[in-house]
Amino acid sequence: MEPASPTPLKVVLVEDDVAFQQAFRTALAEAGDLSMVGVAATAAEARALMDGPSPDVLVVDLGLPDASGIEVIREAHARWPDCAIMVATTFADERHVIASIEAGASGYLLKDSPLPTIAEDIRVLHAGGSPISPRIARQVLMRFRPDEKAAPEEPASEGADIKSGVPSLSEREKEALQLITRGFSFEEIAELMGVSRNTVLTFVRRIYAKLEVRSKTEAVFEARAYGLL
Amino acid sequence: MASSSPRRWRRWAAWGAATVALAVGLCLIQAQAGGERITAARMTVVETVGYQRAPAVTPAELRAGGRPVTMPHAPKPDWTPTAEADPDRIATRVTWYAMAVPPLPDDGRQLYLFAPRWKSDGSLSIYADGKLIHQTHANLQWNGSNQPVWVALPRSDADHPPRTLDIRLQHVRGIGGAFSSVWIGDYRQLAPHYYLRDFFQVRLTAFVSVAFLATGVFALSVWFTRRKEPIYLLYFLMSVVCFARMLHTFVGTHPLFVSDAWFGWLTVNSLFWMLTVLHLFAGQLHRARQPILTATTVANTLFWSLATLPGLLDATLIAAPIYANVIVLGLVVGFNGVVQSHKARSHFAMLLSVWCIVTLLAGIYDLGLQQNLVNIESVFFTNFTGVGFTLLFWYIMFSRYTEALETATRAKADLAARLAKREAELTASHAQLREIEHRELLHQERQRLMQDMHDGLGSSLVTALRAFENDRADDLDAVGILRACIDDLKLTIDSMEPVETDLLLLLATLRFRLQPRLQAAGVKLTWSVGEAPPLDWLDQRHALHILRIVQEAFANILKHAGARQVAVAVRTEGDRVLVSIQDDGKGFDPARAAAGRGLANQRRRADAIGAMVIWEPVTKGSRLVLSLPVTKG
Repeated sequence: MEPASPTPLKVVLVEDDVAFQQAFRTALAEAGDLSMVGVAATAAEARALMDGPSPDVLVVDLGLPDASGIEVIREAHARWPDCAIMVATTFADERHVIASIEAGASGYLLKDSPLPTIAEDIRVLHAGGSPISPRIARQVLMRFRPDEKAAPEEPASEGADIKSGVPSLSEREKEALQLITRGFSFEEIAELMGVSRNTVLTFVRRIYAKLEVRSKTEAVFEARAYGLL
Repeated sequence: MASSSPRRWRRWAAWGAATVALAVGLCLIQAQAGGERITAARMTVVETVGYQRAPAVTPAELRAGGRPVTMPHAPKPDWTPTAEADPDRIATRVTWYAMAVPPLPDDGRQLYLFAPRWKSDGSLSIYADGKLIHQTHANLQWNGSNQPVWVALPRSDADHPPRTLDIRLQHVRGIGGAFSSVWIGDYRQLAPHYYLRDFFQVRLTAFVSVAFLATGVFALSVWFTRRKEPIYLLYFLMSVVCFARMLHTFVGTHPLFVSDAWFGWLTVNSLFWMLTVLHLFAGQLHRARQPILTATTVANTLFWSLATLPGLLDATLIAAPIYANVIVLGLVVGFNGVVQSHKARSHFAMLLSVWCIVTLLAGIYDLGLQQNLVNIESVFFTNFTGVGFTLLFWYIMFSRYTEALETATRAKADLAARLAKREAELTASHAQLREIEHRELLHQERQRLMQDMHDGLGSSLVTALRAFENDRADDLDAVGILRACIDDLKLTIDSMEPVETDLLLLLATLRFRLQPRLQAAGVKLTWSVGEAPPLDWLDQRHALHILRIVQEAFANILKHAGARQVAVAVRTEGDRVLVSIQDDGKGFDPARAAAGRGLANQRRRADAIGAMVIWEPVTKGSRLVLSLPVTKG
């Protein structure tokens, strides 16, 4: 361990917009503790990078010229399981963000954020803090609502083991999500729930992980239902 | 139709086969029959007045005299024998037929005597070896003489097969006195003869007329519920008069409950009644209105029905001329029916009319039988045509019934089809309505977005553009303007996602968007939202207005107030939800016109969604309350 100079975080960006590439570069350069180790403008380039060593953080834009950023996220998550993946988005609308999280991302980056904020968001994500908007929280709650899913298709005994593979939210996680939908910040939630801010961040990270597992199980489940597996 | 003709052919073939099988069966039964038939007799006639009891033994003088005759024997009757109806004073005659029995084996077998028919008003006595062995005990006139005679001979230890048989008939002078040939033999020999005769002469008409009457009662109950269809009543009446007419063929061997006079009146006149009802019934089928013919028929019927009431003319004694009248009237009704049915193409009326004529032809034969013009051992054909009539009436009613059922089925199918069509029309119009609604909704949404772009993003960009054009870019916070534009855009996008009646989610979204700017400006936000009831009316349009009102409030605070703290609170008061935004800045007087376009915009938006914006006075800073209704009436 070297206590003095910590190794800068290795960041890879997948983005076809040169202007944002430039801004991103600047943001990282100013930060000092972040280093840009790779840039890909297309999914193909990103795949080429995936043959190399895993960075600490991967930032992916969804609108790539040759493929959806979701694909890149999924592949990167498989190749670099320890890499924290962020989706770069302008609006952080729940549709895109949730699709990214289900593909393996654990957070998102608002493209219009001030440069210091971008650097800070990367640091926070790497440290285990994931952002979550009220609408995303709401979506997640709805997806995990027990009566909405699992009920419609239950092919007898098979349904049981698949169901056991589908993770569900704990009461605390649900409570945290509820508070998020009401607009409370992580600090306020921590206070309301009587836990530390870090615990709240853990909740969110765990919820994201469950969302990803859930989407995978569901795919398997659906494939079985359609006789593909 | 090509498809139905083979089936019809098969049906006729089946009927034919059944008839042939029945005929063969009857022939086989008849072939089993045997016994001795006696046709040679000597007839002795004694004129009398009134009716006397028969002697216990044959008078001695009978043994010698008498005119040889061949049985069956029937004297030629007078058309109108006598007007005297009193049985004590009426001119009567005793006709004796004396017969020699061929020698029969004396082995103690039970012997029977069988005579197919006898034909005489009055009484009948039968003597074997001069001793009375059988006599009638019922009415004098309606005495069941149409029914075969079946007598079991006495069989005591002193009895032997008889050598002679004597028939004594006491009857009205001028009519009656006829007797068929006589059969003698054991049961096995004579039973086939007897039962065949009995079935066709007596039982068949009895069964059928009772069955007809039963269906007639059914028709009557139908008529009670369908008074506008007299055909059911006519059917009932037909069954009643048919039954009345047929009664004499199967009753009479035992005393009747009514006098001969009434029974004769009923039996003879019922033919007229049948004709009248038949005429009316056929009229219901061919639908021709014939008031004159109907009136004539009814008048003719009424005339005889009244003229032969007991105490007036004796219907029994003058039956022959009445029957002649029936035949004439019947031919008129029958041929008229044929013509009308042909005109109206009524299949049923035609069948009835043709059968009426057939019956009349049979009636002519029967009149001959009644007048002893044909062999009296024959049978009345009208009994069988009467059965035919019954079958025809059943056929007509059956057809009407199945037709009605088919009509009902068709109507039901028709109704279902019409319903399905109507439903399809409704669905189509519903879809069209929905389509229009949908288009309207899209249109509104477009309008809303256009308005929003115009007021917000558009005007901000235009302001920036003018500033850059006039080289005043330095005075301008270009980054601030662009950030505001992006924030605007984010709110617009947020407003496109449904919030599903959740006001808190809407406010949370706004906070999430504004937080970075507040943080950058160093403003501390206190967020105290509790519970809020779901607002049913909160759709995208309303959501955007609320977002803009609150956004404007924050913009004002950031721009003008110089506040350090902002508190947002949501609470429910009665039927309103109150969103309050309070800052600790400089404050302002909302009454002043200079308060600007922002406040006016907030009011306009609040009006548009049925809400209110209130600026409440506070000691420091300002306080805006957005008051929203829980429900919108």
